[in-house]
Amino acid sequence: MKKTKLGEFEELVLLAVAALQQEAYGVEIKRELESRLKEKLSVGSIQSALKRMEEKGFLTSEFGEATQKRGGKRKRIYATTSYAHKVLKEMKDIRAGLWEAMPVLAHELKLI
Amino acid sequence: MGSHAGAGTRTEVDMNEPKDIVPPRLPLRLLRFFIKEEYLEEIEGDMEEVFYDNLQQYSPSKTKRMYWAEMFKLLRLSLLRNTTFLQKINHYPMFKNYFKVSIRGLMKNPLTSSINLVGLSIAIGFSIFVYAFANWTYSTDQFHEHKNNVYLATFFANRDGKEQQFGGSPRPLGEMLRNDFTQIKKVCRVEDHHGIVKQEDQVFHERIRFTDPEFLDMFTFPLKWGLSSTLKDPNSIILSEDMALKYFGDENPIGQVMLLKFDNNVSKEFKVSGVAAAFPKSITINFNFLINYENLLSAETNYDLHDWSALVNATFIQVENPLDILAIQQRMDKYRSIQNKAVEEEWAISSFGFEPLATLHEQSEYIRDDISRSSKSNYSSVRYMMVIGTFMLALACFNFINIAIVSAARRLKEIGVRKSIGANRLAVIIQFLSENVVMTFFALLFGLVLAYTFFIPGFEFLWDFNMDFSFADKNLWIYLPIIVLFTAIASGAYPAFYISKFQAVGILKGSVRFGQKNMLTKMFLALQLILACVFITGAVMFTQNSRYMAERGWGYNQFQTMYATVPNAAAFEQLQTKMAEQPDVVGISGAVHHLGKNQVTRVLHFPDRDYEANQLRVDARYFETMGLTLKEGRGFKDFEGSDKQAVVVNEFFIKNAGWTNPIGQQFTMDTLQYEVVGVLADFHSYSFAREIQPTFFTVANKEDYRFLSLKVSSGTEQKVYSAMQAHWATLFPEVPFEGGYQEDVWGNYYGEIAIHGVVWRVIAILAITLASLGLYGLVKLNVTGRLKEFSIRKVLGAELKHIAVIIYRQYTVLFILALAVGAPISYTLIKLIFTTSYEYHMPVDFTGTTIAVTILIVVLLLTISTQIRKVLRANAVEGLKTE
Repeated sequence: MKKTKLGEFEELVLLAVAALQQEAYGVEIKRELESRLKEKLSVGSIQSALKRMEEKGFLTSEFGEATQKRGGKRKRIYATTSYAHKVLKEMKDIRAGLWEAMPVLAHELKLI
Repeated sequence: MGSHAGAGTRTEVDMNEPKDIVPPRLPLRLLRFFIKEEYLEEIEGDMEEVFYDNLQQYSPSKTKRMYWAEMFKLLRLSLLRNTTFLQKINHYPMFKNYFKVSIRGLMKNPLTSSINLVGLSIAIGFSIFVYAFANWTYSTDQFHEHKNNVYLATFFANRDGKEQQFGGSPRPLGEMLRNDFTQIKKVCRVEDHHGIVKQEDQVFHERIRFTDPEFLDMFTFPLKWGLSSTLKDPNSIILSEDMALKYFGDENPIGQVMLLKFDNNVSKEFKVSGVAAAFPKSITINFNFLINYENLLSAETNYDLHDWSALVNATFIQVENPLDILAIQQRMDKYRSIQNKAVEEEWAISSFGFEPLATLHEQSEYIRDDISRSSKSNYSSVRYMMVIGTFMLALACFNFINIAIVSAARRLKEIGVRKSIGANRLAVIIQFLSENVVMTFFALLFGLVLAYTFFIPGFEFLWDFNMDFSFADKNLWIYLPIIVLFTAIASGAYPAFYISKFQAVGILKGSVRFGQKNMLTKMFLALQLILACVFITGAVMFTQNSRYMAERGWGYNQFQTMYATVPNAAAFEQLQTKMAEQPDVVGISGAVHHLGKNQVTRVLHFPDRDYEANQLRVDARYFETMGLTLKEGRGFKDFEGSDKQAVVVNEFFIKNAGWTNPIGQQFTMDTLQYEVVGVLADFHSYSFAREIQPTFFTVANKEDYRFLSLKVSSGTEQKVYSAMQAHWATLFPEVPFEGGYQEDVWGNYYGEIAIHGVVWRVIAILAITLASLGLYGLVKLNVTGRLKEFSIRKVLGAELKHIAVIIYRQYTVLFILALAVGAPISYTLIKLIFTTSYEYHMPVDFTGTTIAVTILIVVLLLTISTQIRKVLRANAVEGLKTE
């Protein structure tokens, strides 16, 4: 796990990229997460997470089309790598394992 | 990773949508500045898209604000440009090298580094001391929380042809101000009164401070024990910590009873209700015993609170807002007319004024009878010390510069190497300056030690006070780095620029030669000599002056005389009878006032003008007892009721009045006519620091005698004095004895003059040390540099005198010039200091300057001789072998 260290927010961004597929560029990821998390996010937080994960090898990217709304600047479309999928899966398994362990704990806690 | 594709085909921007609202330009520009270039297009686009999204929801201005916020949130390490200027700052290894080289340099030349270090340490230590002293002086009475809102009521009046400010105020003023102005929140009157405190078997004379309960609210004097509100109770007394210690020791004295005797008949018991915490060291307004103002009514017979013609020592007011004082000031006219109706015309005042507590101490020099004691001499000492401190630093810096320039020859190779492996001139300059900072930092450490263990305690010991210096002072830690940086740059800037200027090629080829003849070096040496000359002259003259002052006559006999204060005429009679029995007593006389102890200021009316003079009321034998010499006319006649309207004046009085024939001249005082019957030679009632005043004597009524003065035969002073004390103790066990030898009435005056001498001698020794260190270093480096030349000369048969002449010749002209400039400067400067700081001093002559010049010449000869001796003893072969 140590090498693949993935922050909580990074993980969310990574999942959003995986979900959005061809639409996965900065603002769209921001919109997606904002609607799901129900809170405002800044461009900076999304962008820095994307750049960090690209550097760690979770993401690849290439320029997409430019729109008028963007003042003629091109989008950068992100895609997840297979490595990212592996790590996400690992994370999910770890979580699932912990969730399974929980009811016992909760039950015991209730006794007190 | 990220694809760095160049500009792709851009889709045509559709212009049909109105685009008059665009993202603000400034954040966009900032963004372009700090975001990594390869991310720029994407992020800029994202930002713009978000901007137009927001525009649909929010107002344009809000959208712009949000854009700004988004821009700041982009400041993240992973998005930032790897700015090259940031990399450039990282000079850590270089500075590490500089530090190493400086330490090695210091170790390699122990002589020059210790000269520099000692000089700088002395100068910095002295500067720290000056700081501590200035801090002590300027913080006087500055600890009061309400210092900007508390004001002292003062008045202006024309006295003796001069408009002067007075610190007292009419008695009813305080109460009237309190009632008439809503802006005035608090008022307190302060009156001091003498009292005798009896505690068990001991009796002491003490000053009691009467004041309103607000005193402790307006001034910040926290109590160690008890409550400040108890001052409202007229039976309570609040003590200072010192007094609590004196009367009750370490124990909490709350609830203890003290008996205060205000007068022969009036005494009252007080209950101790509070003890103040220790006062700050730098203080002029404080108290020993604090009791309610109302007690004045019982302490003084017929004390009238509503008497406009009588003054109270001080009235303080506190306002909410310092600006209110202007409004109050404008309405003070009303009180002026009340005041002027109540007093005689000669005491009329011209206006009232208010002096803020924050600046009261600084101003008190110009306010007469002010409650906050003036320390004019402290403020001027601070200024002198600052000048001297700056000179010391200058001396040390000159040494440093000189030695640095002369010894740079040794470091030329190093500079050449540095330059040829890529250091530019700036780098070399920075290297030299950082070496200096290291050096000054060490000097600072030594300087701190020197200040803390020598300068400050020494000065405190001389003047017997405590300047409360502590390293916890915040400003000190601002001051010290400033001193270090200033010194480092002042001393290092020139050598650094000078040395760094040479071309590497020239240096390495060996064609650059310098250090032998540098005008600047010589100029600095000359300046040092001039400064040293001034300091030595000062030291000699101040020492001479203290001797001169000790021998200067007072205008009367201060040696065989003594005095005692008596509470009333009956006591005078009793003591006089006892003392008259003593065989050693030559003369006894009684008086209301006494030379050096007290006198009153009166306004005299001449036909053409009014004139202020001091009055002493004495008996007929007083002149003879005290040894005052009669110049003209006669003294008072010795019988009951004689000479009621006769006065004897001093010569200064005659001079001021402009009389050629004084005997028989007349003037009016309190509607009575007085006639001059005699003239006394001038005398010093108070110390030489105070100018002789126009003074006159009148005959005192027997009932008013408060002083008994004695003249005794030579050598019996101590015997008679202790006999007087013994008689007193048996006659009046309830009243403490108060009296003394006449020669002691000036207090520590002679001690103070002697201290001036000590301080100047210390400064002069420091200056000589600095100058000779510099000279020594310079001569030594010079001679070492020319060792080859001298060796050749010796081989060719040069003798002692030839070499001596060659070495001396370099410095003779410089020395003659420096002394020719320095001697007159020191003479005029010290004369100026004398005339401004002493009213009377010895005639300033050339001895001081002559001694200074002689000392400097001797120092020069000695310094150079040591080097000549070295050259002579050195083996010429060794000198030629080097390199």
